[in-house]
Amino acid sequence: MAMLETHNLNKHFGGLHVTADVSFTLEAGKIHCLIGPNGAGKSTFFRLLLGEHQPSSGKIMFDGVDITRLKPFQRINQGMSVKFQVPGIFSALSVRQNLEIALQRRLEGAELDAEVERLLDFLQLKDVASQLAGNLSHGLKQWLEIGMAISLKPKLLLLDEPTAGMSPEETHMTGEIVKQLNAEGMTVLAVEHDMAFVRQVAHRVSVLHFGRIFAEGTFAEIVADERVAAIYLGQSHD
Amino acid sequence: MTLSRIFKRLEGPQTMGKGPLFWTAFAVVLAIALAYPLFADGYDVGNNIYFLNWTFMALGLSIIWGYGGSLSFGQTAFFGVAGYSYGILTINFGTAYGLGVVAVLMAIAIAALFAAILGYFLFFGRISGIFLGIVTLSVTLALERFMAQTAGPQWTVGSARLNGFNGMSGMPPLTLPWFGGDIVLYPDIGLYYLVLGLLVIIYLGLRILVNSKFGNVLVAVRENPERAEMLGYDIRKYQLGGFVIGAALAGLSGALYTSWGQYITPSSMGITSAALPIIWVAVGGRSDITATLIGTLIVLSGFQALTIYGSQYALVVMGLLLVCTVLLAPKGLVANAGILLGSLFNRKNGSA
Amino acid sequence: MDFVTTLVSSAYQFGDAFAFLVLSACGLAVIFGMMGVINLAHGEFIMCGAYMTVFAVNWGLPLPLAIIVGSLFAGLVGMVIERLVVRRLYSRPLDSILATWGVSLIASQGTLILFGPTMRGVGTPLGSFMVGSLSFSYYRLVLMATAIAVLLLLYLVFNKTRFGVLARATIQAPHMASALGVDTNRIYTLTFGIGAALAGLTGGIYAPTMTMIPTMGTTFIMEAFVTVVVGGADVFIGTAPAAVLLAVVKASLTSWQGQLAGQIGLLLAVIITIRLLPKGVTGFILKGRV
Repeated sequence: MAMLETHNLNKHFGGLHVTADVSFTLEAGKIHCLIGPNGAGKSTFFRLLLGEHQPSSGKIMFDGVDITRLKPFQRINQGMSVKFQVPGIFSALSVRQNLEIALQRRLEGAELDAEVERLLDFLQLKDVASQLAGNLSHGLKQWLEIGMAISLKPKLLLLDEPTAGMSPEETHMTGEIVKQLNAEGMTVLAVEHDMAFVRQVAHRVSVLHFGRIFAEGTFAEIVADERVAAIYLGQSHD
Repeated sequence: MTLSRIFKRLEGPQTMGKGPLFWTAFAVVLAIALAYPLFADGYDVGNNIYFLNWTFMALGLSIIWGYGGSLSFGQTAFFGVAGYSYGILTINFGTAYGLGVVAVLMAIAIAALFAAILGYFLFFGRISGIFLGIVTLSVTLALERFMAQTAGPQWTVGSARLNGFNGMSGMPPLTLPWFGGDIVLYPDIGLYYLVLGLLVIIYLGLRILVNSKFGNVLVAVRENPERAEMLGYDIRKYQLGGFVIGAALAGLSGALYTSWGQYITPSSMGITSAALPIIWVAVGGRSDITATLIGTLIVLSGFQALTIYGSQYALVVMGLLLVCTVLLAPKGLVANAGILLGSLFNRKNGSA
Repeated sequence: MDFVTTLVSSAYQFGDAFAFLVLSACGLAVIFGMMGVINLAHGEFIMCGAYMTVFAVNWGLPLPLAIIVGSLFAGLVGMVIERLVVRRLYSRPLDSILATWGVSLIASQGTLILFGPTMRGVGTPLGSFMVGSLSFSYYRLVLMATAIAVLLLLYLVFNKTRFGVLARATIQAPHMASALGVDTNRIYTLTFGIGAALAGLTGGIYAPTMTMIPTMGTTFIMEAFVTVVVGGADVFIGTAPAAVLLAVVKASLTSWQGQLAGQIGLLLAVIITIRLLPKGVTGFILKGRV
């Protein structure tokens, strides 16, 4: 069953087509990675999914509901959640409070407190729980934001370059977190540059090029595809 | 159970001051404030209500600006709307049979409604930052100009004359209905206790509010509006909510001020008046209601003391104070002192 | 009234409103457009120019020269304020509003202390002319011409001179500009000075038509704010069309219902504009481009 479908999604700014006729299907329960060279339209596509941009034409279906005209917060309330590329956290508030603000969407009282503790544990943030979020290291900020995103218990988790700026160890740890979440039933769509991460987590990979879906398959199939290698993977993966 | 949870919110992430030491200090200050009329002349007590009257508007600005992150210069507009509303209502209907209290509530409601309409256009038009400041200031100045040109006899509402630049006067003071007959609250000890009581209730209520779920979202919007929206919050509603609450508090100040002094003038909404709440709140520390409250009372007393030499001198000092605060202590002087006290106290505890 | 008189009268009212809006806003718009700072002491720079103009006339200078003196003096004061206060706040635009508001209080109340609540002004020169049964002031025509001249001059200075090019470069990429050896601090000081001098010019040129009081600047600031808000971030693209739009609203409401209706109409126009065009006229005009 499809968790997310886009039908002929177009977005152009002036004469520039940033996404062209993107028809894309994301199966429920999968981890799907979206890759592509810089300027391929990945972040525009992402913003279209979130509702931060309105498509020039086309349709977005989420879990059977047409969300094309919904505002960002309404899409979130349909069961989406997002982690941004630059960590979107509340810098002047404590780590614990960051999580509380996210969790209070669906929990309260003792249940909320218990879930905060569980997330702090899960994301290895226990020791820094009362620090200001703005003072965390880059990697911990990323995990905190993942924590906020999954606090909503989304059906679909959108990740925009979740490992940007992370060390290889942190990247691996992030991959494990994502796999764990997926094992608990969350569908994941990640825009990612880091091929080690994609190899680690992806059930399925789509390649975006010049605003079009250029190729799609398993990681092995994509890596084996010479056309893809030519445009994107280059010599490093041949 | 729920009640204990509510009380827990008196202390929380969004307010400075917690633990027995803070609440002891709070009790001592409150006791002094309660005992003050026993040692002072009724006339002086009545005059000093002046200071308390303004605190509500300052607390409201702290909610809008300090907590919500929306820099509004419109507090005196809501103050003025409520002040004139109180005047018009009480001149027409009097204050007997509890109508005075109704007039205060109506005045606050009218100010809040005005804020809701204005705020709808601003926040749902996604106006923020600098533009929010200058649009709210423009509205305030337009209101001042409007009221200033109502000198002619055609500008009457019922039997209340708006009276243009000279302002409206002669409205009756606030009157409480009571079993043995109405209590008329002239600027004296009775009114002092009423306003002090309101201040305590509102201060504690705001502590609970800003530490509640609503307060959490309010500061989240201040810190990172995009993230807050992407947690599923309709941030426009929270901004509007904070704006209307702040405006209602300015309205309370306006109604109380008008009933206390029995007059209101358009210049209470002018650009100079509009600057004053900004100064109190900025100097105190906008992101904390305790710092705001203390700062407001200190700056107001300083202002009042300087007015002996002429209000223009006092205003020059206020301007200097604002410039210096922004340049040297942008978080506010009282808030910085509070942070310092807190860290000293913690260090002592740590070493003990 | 015959058709010609009505036409002249409407054009005159529109021109008057247009001139007032442009001249009120231009100094504020330059500083906001180039530096992102809303200068709340704008009204006080206007007042400063007006006072200096009147002093210069009293010293025996002819009015046009006196206006230039007033304008230059306001510009000088502006540069001093930029050095002392505004410079430290470029990374904090909201705080710069507050600081300039403090400056505004100090300036208006300081003027009150120094020169008292009113000062003798100078009379409106040039007299008037008749069309049909209505009388019009020549000086108002000078104001309209000045407004257009100021717009042209701004366009030329910021597009055709070396300073203008450097200034625009500094605004768009401050680090790049300073890496290329541009003294960005000097550019900021000069730009702020130009904004203040324009405000001073407005004060000087309106001085003969107004009562000289320390708070005379507030007469202008609401119009200045609304023009800048409607105009949006780009002074050169936004200010003139915004002034045209608002002048139509103001002139027609004023002739229909009086001064006050004109002002309230302005305000409503602004609130509706920001609801429809959050980025102002600039945003609307730039929408078609990438």
